[in-house]
Amino acid sequence: MNWRALILVFAISAMATLQACREKAAIATTNPLLKAYDVEQDANDPQRVIPLNYQQAQGKRVFNNTCVWCHAEATPAGPSNRSNVTPTPPLFTDGETLNPLTDEFLQNTITLGGSAMGKSTMMPPWGQTISEDEIRSVIAYIRAVAQPPYQPTARPASQYPVK
Amino acid sequence: MTAEEMGKVSKRLRATFAIASVAFVAVLAVSPVKDYFQEWKRHEKDYVRYAQTRPDTKHLLADFHSGIDQIWLPDMKVVDRCTTCHQGITQASLGDSSVPQPFRAHPVIPHPVKEWGCVVCHRGQGPATEVAEAHETTLAWEQPILPTKYIQASCGSCHRGDIPQTPQLNRGRQLLSELNCAGCHRMQEIQRPAMLGPDLSNVGNKVTREWIYKWLKEPHIVVDASGNTVVDGYQTEEEPRMPQFRLTDQEITALSAYLSSLKSHPFESYKFDPRVLASLEKRPDLAELGQERFRQMFCTTCHSLAVTRGDETKLIGGDIGPELTKVASKVNPDWLITWLRDPQSYLSHALMPRYQWSDEDLYKVTQYINEKLTDPDLLSNVPQLETPTPEDIQLGQRLFLEKGCGSCHVIEGVSPQKDFGPDLSSLGGKNVSQLEFGSAKFPRNIVSYIQAKITDPLSVNTAARMPQYRLTPADLDAITTALLSMTGNPSSSGLERLIVPRPRPGFRAAGAFGEVYERYKCYVCHRFNGYGGTLAPDLSFEGSRARRQWTIDFMKNPQTLRPTLIFRMPQFNMTDQEAATIADYLGMASQSQFVNVAGGNLKQFAPEMAAMGKQLYEVKYQCQACHTIGSSGGYVGPNLSNAGNWLNASWIEQWLKNPQALVPGAIEPRRTFTSEEIQALTAYVLTLKQSGQPKAAISGAAVTGGAK
Ligand code: HEC
Ligand code: HEM
Repeated sequence: MNWRALILVFAISAMATLQACREKAAIATTNPLLKAYDVEQDANDPQRVIPLNYQQAQGKRVFNNTCVWCHAEATPAGPSNRSNVTPTPPLFTDGETLNPLTDEFLQNTITLGGSAMGKSTMMPPWGQTISEDEIRSVIAYIRAVAQPPYQPTARPASQYPVK
Repeated sequence: MTAEEMGKVSKRLRATFAIASVAFVAVLAVSPVKDYFQEWKRHEKDYVRYAQTRPDTKHLLADFHSGIDQIWLPDMKVVDRCTTCHQGITQASLGDSSVPQPFRAHPVIPHPVKEWGCVVCHRGQGPATEVAEAHETTLAWEQPILPTKYIQASCGSCHRGDIPQTPQLNRGRQLLSELNCAGCHRMQEIQRPAMLGPDLSNVGNKVTREWIYKWLKEPHIVVDASGNTVVDGYQTEEEPRMPQFRLTDQEITALSAYLSSLKSHPFESYKFDPRVLASLEKRPDLAELGQERFRQMFCTTCHSLAVTRGDETKLIGGDIGPELTKVASKVNPDWLITWLRDPQSYLSHALMPRYQWSDEDLYKVTQYINEKLTDPDLLSNVPQLETPTPEDIQLGQRLFLEKGCGSCHVIEGVSPQKDFGPDLSSLGGKNVSQLEFGSAKFPRNIVSYIQAKITDPLSVNTAARMPQYRLTPADLDAITTALLSMTGNPSSSGLERLIVPRPRPGFRAAGAFGEVYERYKCYVCHRFNGYGGTLAPDLSFEGSRARRQWTIDFMKNPQTLRPTLIFRMPQFNMTDQEAATIADYLGMASQSQFVNVAGGNLKQFAPEMAAMGKQLYEVKYQCQACHTIGSSGGYVGPNLSNAGNWLNASWIEQWLKNPQALVPGAIEPRRTFTSEEIQALTAYVLTLKQSGQPKAAISGAAVTGGAK
């Protein structure tokens, strides 16, 4: 019968149109590094690339401007100032030393300097040089690159300021 | 028709009607049922369930609204329904990466989500309410989500100048200008410099046809003594200036014929003072003497040399000028002398300073270059090339224009094709349907498109004239980000008003200083009021910082001051007159409003003050962590051994009060000294003097001690 054929044709074409509307251009979403704001190459393991989120990436910038001189082996100028400082400052990736310290302790040490926290005066106070947010982001960065990896102890701390 | 038949018909009709009604109800029901199973409703339910597992359930649920949620900013043409599913986006407590998506909070950025929406930065389809439609491309909706890796592109659409938060974007913009992309393409905010490659009008006087052949044929390669490739200028960005073009041997033969025939302005060979020649010519250590001068003048601040240490060879030195390892096998020795004496007479836009040369130094250094910076085998794999025939020359001239050489190189009397490559100033905002994929085999999205165009142009368009670039993955991503940021004029007036234009500082040095400034090209490395290079310290306030006599001495004999800077100031062999002109100009014009130089230097400090300052410096504040005095201390800040001769008293005071007020971004931590402590520290720093000028630090890698 004629009208049956018509309905069939109509149905098939409708389905085809619907299908065509659903066709999408492929975008690769599988690679986790595509979702990172920035990345950090693991110094010890060339295979490992650490993804950084926005806050950690800002921390990386502040760190490389301000802290890298005393807390890393390699600096933008070549060799490090670490050997000129006593006691030798911990490397920023040194999880053994830094992981046990709480965020609050680190925030205070960086803001007020070593002498305020019973540590060496050679660790300067940065509270008036870089902002509170920037200090928080440096901590987030140190946590991201820590080796062995940093495991938050209690409930995950928020990256937002506590109101 | 009989009654019986009528009854039959009506029965059939009734059955049909019944079926039709059921079908009708079923069709009507599709809509509410489909609505009930909407994707976003599932996410809503999931969110409520998730919120109930959190410690702050009450707070989270109080903020929760069922139904389509929308950020509507008519001014910016934003209609974003993303928050329908991304429920937790403004919930501070959901920021941790352990929170499942789509509920995680957005990281704190300077622009709150509620005021900006999502699509302005992330792209995608704001009004869509299905995951696939919102995130990907459909025939109806064209903008897929931008992978976060390239998100800095969105910052760059409005922030046309560089900001510190976007290192990847800044690097990309820098690469676009270093790789001379603006030679052929129009780009947003990257202006075409007056001249990109060297002027070739006279190149036949400088190099041979064989050398041109090799240059065009073989990527710029530095080979070590045993023949291994150390640097391949086209694999890395160490010699990025000229890209590799796809040229056949025949085309190269023709181009080399044409270029080597360009000898419009012959130059005379320079006559050295015969007395100088007589005294130097016979010396066996002539090349070593030249090398010594070469090092003392710090040519390597701008030029690199391949240096072999152990079994590793690498390029050491700056990249403002070309690499020089084999330059003597490249250029005509007479040209070399003319160039060194006055680079601008050959190339008016050359960045190389016009040094003051004594005949003695000039002879030593050129002898060093001719003897040591050569490679007799450099041109060994170039075929025998005869004297150019007129046909070759003609073909070469045609190729010069066809291949786009004229976009970067000037030749007198040859007018280049305008706008050789396509305009890229709004590439980043294009929809997929606006891109020509040809027969390309990669995923159809703008990121793959841009990256294929750069790394393998032929894969997109088999007739592409665009050269092929090999970049590290990080640099490729940086360039991609910069291109994606070029979205042209904003689509709405609301966004247009938000554009932060790129600052365009300019600095004009007038009078006697202007001449010295141009001659020695101070702006290539130093910055004055926002204009100039960043290789060396900003000199905008140098007059407030440094004393006049110190500046004069430093110009005559620059030393290592700031060991954190890798590069050293070259020794220009300035005259006393020139050094005084510079010191006077800086003293007059490069002043900070915060520093009263004349008043400060009259002040007298009692010796007890200095003693107290020394105590503060060494014990209470331990400045030696960063500064060196004599032979011990750190090298984060400048060496202070001679600070008493160097710094003005009121500069030191102001610096100690607030370093960042004088030099924004200075690394020195700001502290809260009492005014007495500042007086004491200033008094102490002023006692630090070195008698006699120490010899300029010779070693280029003087990172550990400062002045020696
Ligand atoms: C002048 C060199 C110097 C600079 C610059 C510097 N530090 Fe330190 N830092 C030190 C020294 C020295 C110590 C060791 C203190 C001790 O163990 O007594 C230290 C220790 C630390 C510690 C560990 C404290 C502890 O309890 O072990 C942290 C965290 C830290 N620094 C962070 C930073 C950050 C962040 C910056 C940049 C803003 C920075 N430092 C810049 C010298 C420096
Ligand atoms: C109280 C102790 C200190 C004193 C008295 C002191 C003194 C000075 C003075 C007078 C200058 C000015 C030099 C110039 O204008 O370039 C200076 C610069 C500088 N100082 Fe310090 N300093 C102290 C501590 C530090 C510390 C602890 C650091 C590093 C953590 C530091 C890092 C720097 C840097 C990087 C500069 C150079 C700034 C630039 O070149 O822009 N200083 N310091």
